Amino acid sequence: MTRFPLFVAATVLALPAQAHFGLLLPATSLAETREMPVSIAFLHPWEREGMTMEAPQNVSITFEGETTDLTGSLTSATLFGDQAWEVTVPLPRPGVHVLSLTPTPYWEPDEDVFIQHFTKTYIAAFGGDEGWDAELGLRTEIVPLTRPFALWEGNLFQGIVKRDGAAVPFAEVEVEYFNDSGAGTPSELMITQTVKADQNGVFSYSAPAAGWWGFAALSTAEETLPQDGVEKEIELGAVIWVEFQAWDAK
Amino acid sequence: MIIRSLVLLALLAPGVSLAHGLVVFAFVDGGDVVVEAKFSNGRLAQAGVVNVYDAVDTKLFDLPVTGGEPVRFPVDPSSGGYRIEVVTPNGHSDYWVLTPNDLKGTE
Repeated sequence: MTRFPLFVAATVLALPAQAHFGLLLPATSLAETREMPVSIAFLHPWEREGMTMEAPQNVSITFEGETTDLTGSLTSATLFGDQAWEVTVPLPRPGVHVLSLTPTPYWEPDEDVFIQHFTKTYIAAFGGDEGWDAELGLRTEIVPLTRPFALWEGNLFQGIVKRDGAAVPFAEVEVEYFNDSGAGTPSELMITQTVKADQNGVFSYSAPAAGWWGFAALSTAEETLPQDGVEKEIELGAVIWVEFQAWDAK
Repeated sequence: MIIRSLVLLALLAPGVSLAHGLVVFAFVDGGDVVVEAKFSNGRLAQAGVVNVYDAVDTKLFDLPVTGGEPVRFPVDPSSGGYRIEVVTPNGHSDYWVLTPNDLKGTE
């Protein structure tokens, strides 16, 4: 009699862990305005579940190699019921503006690890698209090989996973949709897609639907951080958010 | 009302959707408006015309684009702003709006 409920419980508990993603989400990646609001959060993007995010260590915007610190302009916000942040970024000139987030490490007790996702995204302002392949030099970073904006749904996106400036052979990259459309899935396994990079750290993914897609390549820091008197590992994430546009068949 | 119109234009509608890859930008430098016109691949427009409109979109004058050099003209502090359009011989076009706020400090 007790075997069936235990079996059910075991089945439920066997569900895959939800993927964490740092988030930098502009209103659009194709800007026609001189400023734009950007949401900053730490969340499960498919499930639309936020996590409490401490004030980030740094948020900046880079244009033609010049970086402007926006950390002091952050305002508190709520996303999916949890602490998040917002900033309005200036877009004074046509061209590619790269947003970068260095969050405060997040303690995840369920995984017994700190998580710190170095996150970036791109805004192409007023039709300019030069410089999208520039590397920011983050501790860990996905450097795009495909222009990371103005993509059709179904296009192939490629990038190189880097850690401390070097390509990471066979890095595993998690891919997840920012599920603002309320998309469903036939299986929990469909939520986080997984691809591996090749020997040069190059990975590829074709997004099946329009919207924002996050790509996260994870590694472990050499250093640790204390939690309740015990040193814990730090998961480092190289995260990039890319917007795909709906194909207009008219 | 004029200022509102220009600010709205600057915030919402630089008009690049029909630009065919030409990107126009204008800024104020030392009492002059400087107009840059380049294609989205970074190449400077080598020829064309700069059409300068006032805050109610009445054309004020035009200037030639030659050899990829930026085009300059003096700011009229009483203008209330400009819409600056560049058209190349092959029909590429784009524009940039300078609002009264952009012209501050030139009076």
